[in-house]
Amino acid sequence: MATSANLEQIQRWMQACIQYQGGVEEALVSEAANAAIPAEEARNVVLPGRALTALERLDIYRDMYLLRMEEALGIDFPALKHFLGDDEFMKLVARYTDAHPSRSYTFNRFGDHMVDFLESQDELPKRDFCHALARLEFALTKVFDANETPAMTPEAVRAVPQDAWETARLKPIGPFQLLAFDYPVSLYIGAVDEENPFPRIAKKKTWAVCYRRDFHVHRMNLEHPAYELLSALASGQTVGDSIVSVLTKKWRPAVKQSQLFEWFRDWMSEGLFQAVELA
Amino acid sequence: MANKWGYPDLGFGIGLRTVHFEHILKNNPKIDWFEVLSENYMDTGGKPLHVAEQIAERYPVVAHGVSLSVGSKDPIDFDYLRKLKDLCKRVNARWVSDHLCWCGVCGMNTHDLLPMPYTTEALKHTIERVRAIQDFMERPIALENASTYLEFSVSTWPESEFLAALAEEADCGILLDVNNVYVSSYNHGFDPKQYIDRIPKDRVVQMHLAGHTNKGTHILDTHSDYVIDSVWDLYRYAYGRLGGVSTLLEWDANIPSFDVVHGEALKARKFREQEDAAKKQAPELEEVPAYGD
Repeated sequence: MATSANLEQIQRWMQACIQYQGGVEEALVSEAANAAIPAEEARNVVLPGRALTALERLDIYRDMYLLRMEEALGIDFPALKHFLGDDEFMKLVARYTDAHPSRSYTFNRFGDHMVDFLESQDELPKRDFCHALARLEFALTKVFDANETPAMTPEAVRAVPQDAWETARLKPIGPFQLLAFDYPVSLYIGAVDEENPFPRIAKKKTWAVCYRRDFHVHRMNLEHPAYELLSALASGQTVGDSIVSVLTKKWRPAVKQSQLFEWFRDWMSEGLFQAVELA
Repeated sequence: MANKWGYPDLGFGIGLRTVHFEHILKNNPKIDWFEVLSENYMDTGGKPLHVAEQIAERYPVVAHGVSLSVGSKDPIDFDYLRKLKDLCKRVNARWVSDHLCWCGVCGMNTHDLLPMPYTTEALKHTIERVRAIQDFMERPIALENASTYLEFSVSTWPESEFLAALAEEADCGILLDVNNVYVSSYNHGFDPKQYIDRIPKDRVVQMHLAGHTNKGTHILDTHSDYVIDSVWDLYRYAYGRLGGVSTLLEWDANIPSFDVVHGEALKARKFREQEDAAKKQAPELEEVPAYGD
């Protein structure tokens, strides 16, 4: 049966066929494809070629579709891919792509639903670890793409009068993400990047800040009180209130004043703040 | 300057790729120009855009996109166009190009350059969209012939004639991808030289070259290797027919060093020179009476 399908029908049909997860024969009779062009007409939409049948030609596009999606998500979630292995990751990509097909002109937005999606993936091995890993990797992509904001210079830091610090507020740079986890996911990413040995995949509270300096993305692992202090500062509390909020909690081992100085020194030298607002 | 807009022949360039960022910024290599993949720089405030801006201060840059989806039945994405326009300003793009294709419908993007059915209905639809896009962009766009792996039974136009008619009616430019002509001619069994003969010379603002992967039954446009001899021959033919226009080498997978990619692009000069020499040596053809007259 010859087809007289118009442009809209052909495009809806072809997209439905390429996005269908299953064989190409099944794709032709799938609900979405059939709604655009009836199955009895569908075999005549594409011409056979010199060496390939019409369906084999259509299949070239189908094959490439999922591979492209896998490549894009593999770039954003390399450690998750490493943990799951190629086959399991590809299965995850297929399920994800089915649930959240790309709706943007850029692949930068394609992985936006991955963290939430993983919560529903009960069959995934060590799902909670995967979820935490994806949270960290997604934060790293956000930091990579965030708008650049210049960090405070050492001169600007030194220019703040000593007695003004207590009531001052520090404003983090744009590419800045502060995260807490139930698993050692930052260490896992470090191991994938061959920075450290692989950690044991077991529950363990960990904390990290992701940021960008000179257009390079970095992760800094934090101790719990340091995370609390940085969170308080990032939320807009004054330096004095932030320090008090940390020091009034009981930590084991106790936080020493010298540690506070070390943290501030590290954060300033890493350029985590763009400005200081004086009261 | 054979094209109607007077866009210059920038010479021999390559596609800007992240693996070459450091080399370019550090060594300032002597290269005629770069092409940036628009979408890689439109939704980020990070390193890629920062590098592209630096490179645009040193070299001529052209913006080349993959998500314009000019043939789609979906509404035009003006948010995309706004960002594209902004990028073009930021990198001082000499011109902007994309593909004769569609990328998705129903709000989705397959991130592929999907083939058009070459019908009069599709032609009218695409002409209207190109006009609207050019009005918004306040500049002409150039459309590239994509590599295709299937043909639709409803098509009534050869691709080359469809592209030529689109360019004339919508008043847009053509980016002639010589490798894509070769790939599609292999996949569909048409004469690649005849394809080039049908392309209006005054519309061509740029040419592309690339390597591909021959699977035996078909060729995939993978941009993963050196340009093959048959494509170089076709480039020489296109140069002879269309004249010298900005020529760019694309290499997107298994990308070798900057010098290797640039060296491959510079081979195009040799084929131009061969064609020029052949034209000089060819005797002037005289009208002679047909035998028996």
